[in-house]
Amino acid sequence: MSFLDALFGKRERSSDVARERLLTVLVHDRVKLTPDMMEQLKADLSAVIARYVPSVDAGAIEVTLLRGEAVDHLKADIPLRRTPQKL
Amino acid sequence: MSRVITITSGKGGVGKTTSTANLGTALALQGLKVAVVDADIGLRNLDVVLGLENRIVYDLVDVVEGRCRLRQALIKDKHFPDLCLLPAAQTRDKDAVTADDMIALTNQLRAEFDYVLIDSPAGIEAGFRNAIAGADEVLIVTTPEVAAVRDADRIIGLVEAFEKGHPRLIINRLKPRMVSRGEMMSIDDVLQILAIDLIGVVPDDELIVTSTNRGEVAVLDRNSRAGRAFAEIARRLAGEDIPITVFDDSSGLLNRIFGAFGIRPRGSER
Repeated sequence: MSFLDALFGKRERSSDVARERLLTVLVHDRVKLTPDMMEQLKADLSAVIARYVPSVDAGAIEVTLLRGEAVDHLKADIPLRRTPQKL
Repeated sequence: MSRVITITSGKGGVGKTTSTANLGTALALQGLKVAVVDADIGLRNLDVVLGLENRIVYDLVDVVEGRCRLRQALIKDKHFPDLCLLPAAQTRDKDAVTADDMIALTNQLRAEFDYVLIDSPAGIEAGFRNAIAGADEVLIVTTPEVAAVRDADRIIGLVEAFEKGHPRLIINRLKPRMVSRGEMMSIDDVLQILAIDLIGVVPDDELIVTSTNRGEVAVLDRNSRAGRAFAEIARRLAGEDIPITVFDDSSGLLNRIFGAFGIRPRGSER
């Protein structure tokens, strides 16, 4: 989407929407991770990380599959809660 | 009484999945409870056409093999809670399901829905036979092109051999301007060759591409001529006796009402 389109609030072009949707679908088809397995993976990840970093925000973990040029990526975004520091 | 209708074609790429998605949505718009079933095991597509690909947990093969209940596999549509998708498995092949499985599955769906629309795989093999096994009636989609019409003819013979009654025809992607120039077979040409009842004519429409890009269906876009044609077909499916409109591309809506030429949507009296 170009700068001008963004400025005038024009909708994203449908071809771009199509390409993004396809990339997601294709990588999921290939990796064969069902939504159930994805949820399980997130739960396992948060359990492991919590052993080292107690402030992990288990409910906010995002795991996404991304299609890359040469390899696909399993990307995890693991937010940590900010706790007020003790003096 | 619920009805199970299979949408098939013989040739691939003529618009079976688009027709299933649009007719299912149009029937749901009429307030009916509709299930659309993707019977193309291994080549799942109806989910992306309806924009529901991110919601799939279980699929048709999971139901058949008892890994989940039917209800768990049904995905509610984004717009209509009374429209549900039963997705195909993507990682299996068509041998994962038998004709008896499909009959049992459609009988289960009959209990919950007014209409069950089954999107058949292309071809004349097991996948096609499974897709029509539980059907009360069959719609055949063709485009006005030689290869598609030839395959439609073959399929009509098979549907009749399997005692599924007389299938009705959707002529898809008609370009009225090409027909008037004599550069494309007309509706009459196709009907004379295939000798079956016509249920509707869908014009070629770029909005089908853009709506599918977004995972939306054309019947919800009032600017789409194809969408309006599908809405009409859905009314005819539901038993209304309305004349067939050809939505022209040159002058907006050109009401070429076929009744004037003695062609009626036969079979709509059922």
